[in-house]
Amino acid sequence: MQGNLTALSITIFIILTVVLIGFLSGRDKKVRSSVEEWSVGGRRFGGLLVWFLVGADLYTAYTFLGLTSTAYTGGSLAFFAIPYSVLAFFISYFFLPKLWKVANHHKLTTLADYARERFDSKLLSILIAIVGVLMLIPYICLQLSGIQDTLQVAGTGFINVKVVVVTSFLLVALYTFFSGIKGPTYTAIIKDVLVWAIMLFMVVSLPMIHFGGWTPMMDRLVKDAPQLLTIPTDGPKGIPWFITASLVSALALFMWAHAATGVFTAKSADSIRKNAMFLPLYNIVLILVIFLGFIAFLVLPKGTDPRFALLTLIQSSYGGVAQGLAYATIALASLIPCSIMAIGASNLFANNIYRDWINPKVKPSRLTMITRGMVFVVIGLALLFGLVFPSALVSLQLLGVSGMVQIFPAIVISLFWKNQTREATIIGLLVGLATTFTVYGTGNSYGIYEGFWGLAANFLAVVVLNPLFVKKAKSNANPVKEFLFNKNQKEASLAKKGA
Amino acid sequence: MKKGILTILVLLPFVAQLALLPFVNKIGPIVFGLPFFHFWLFLWIVLTPLCTYGIYQLQKSKGGLE
Repeated sequence: MQGNLTALSITIFIILTVVLIGFLSGRDKKVRSSVEEWSVGGRRFGGLLVWFLVGADLYTAYTFLGLTSTAYTGGSLAFFAIPYSVLAFFISYFFLPKLWKVANHHKLTTLADYARERFDSKLLSILIAIVGVLMLIPYICLQLSGIQDTLQVAGTGFINVKVVVVTSFLLVALYTFFSGIKGPTYTAIIKDVLVWAIMLFMVVSLPMIHFGGWTPMMDRLVKDAPQLLTIPTDGPKGIPWFITASLVSALALFMWAHAATGVFTAKSADSIRKNAMFLPLYNIVLILVIFLGFIAFLVLPKGTDPRFALLTLIQSSYGGVAQGLAYATIALASLIPCSIMAIGASNLFANNIYRDWINPKVKPSRLTMITRGMVFVVIGLALLFGLVFPSALVSLQLLGVSGMVQIFPAIVISLFWKNQTREATIIGLLVGLATTFTVYGTGNSYGIYEGFWGLAANFLAVVVLNPLFVKKAKSNANPVKEFLFNKNQKEASLAKKGA
Repeated sequence: MKKGILTILVLLPFVAQLALLPFVNKIGPIVFGLPFFHFWLFLWIVLTPLCTYGIYQLQKSKGGLE
């Protein structure tokens, strides 16, 4: 497979421009003056910036390459991503404003910080941080294989793909270290504009090139491949899988460290509510993009590697310029989320593993430096695992979601349930993780999404065990509990802030 | 009354996008160039924000949002 020099030049040019902008967004030294500035932009981002930042998390290279390849092989199962992300934002409307208020009031920058303060438990904070970092590294690897596949299609015969991948990730690590959250925010705007423009262009032009338009394409699909157009009712994954996968992924979305980072940048609870309202509209493009996997099914020769379905389709349909723009879009869709993920993971590591566990007396300035420096460790680890153990795109991410959702009771239920205890929450988290891994490892999921079993076991453990510890929890007051459940206190503190 | 509407708006996106899936899992009729199943998912991409907006307005009128 030979690449295309025009396409490759355009891709590299756009990547380098974006990296440059990433550096320029950190000109003001203030962006790296504290953990709060570097990781959540001093909580000053308005609704629109949060939209781009959270949207950047959703539209990753995985979204384009993974979902089109699922559509190519698994038909309409790929569309689970639509109810998933629509419901994720809908659900977030009910808890994120509250979580944001606690985080803002108590100057918290990670979800593990919240759990520590809510339950007075460093153990819980460390556990959540370990789960968060462990699950994020495969997710960063996923972005890595996304850009690697793209460059392989664009540049085979011209460049050493691995060298370019490593270089581009190191550049991203460097600008993230330098500019903090400002880097991915401004570059996310460019990425999102490109995504909307290029994906709409592909959705309109690809059916025209191959079938003469959208309607003839749909006629062909109905005639030649109707099995792709509905959720299969037999086989290992059917409707129960689709429903549980959508629901569990929706609950998990804001448990990811990078999504939480995006949310904590917001300047008000209201900007979060507005985002929860409008972010589902992002899926208008996504649902159409998944159809490109069906086009690939109809036009590509049998035996094409599903992982390369979309990339091969682009390569065989367009000239150099359009190819270049499409590759660049996918490359940015892996690099920019990677930057936000690295910030999320570094923040968890520095705050909740290093400070909470290893060195509680660390000075703020040193902690800031350690948080920033961790970017290199996180991206380095992802590169190492990604290049040494490259694995299939989707299964890694799926296990990540199933693992990540296990912190949902600790983070979300605890915002509403006053007497939820630390002990029951910790045991529930561990039971949930153990169940998920057992179901995944043995392959006995009975047609249900793995994380659903884990989450069910988790909830059950918390509910059954909670009464055993509740007496102690009732007598323990702490500022976060006061803030959440003691109304007078809450009003007083809000009045003081003039909110 | 308001509480009833609120409950419906909260449940609707879940019912439509999860519980009703077995009943909309079909190709025909094709609406706006999409098989019925995909049209249904597309519809709720647009209707879910409207539900959220309704909930937002109801909460605001009750003074439930600080």
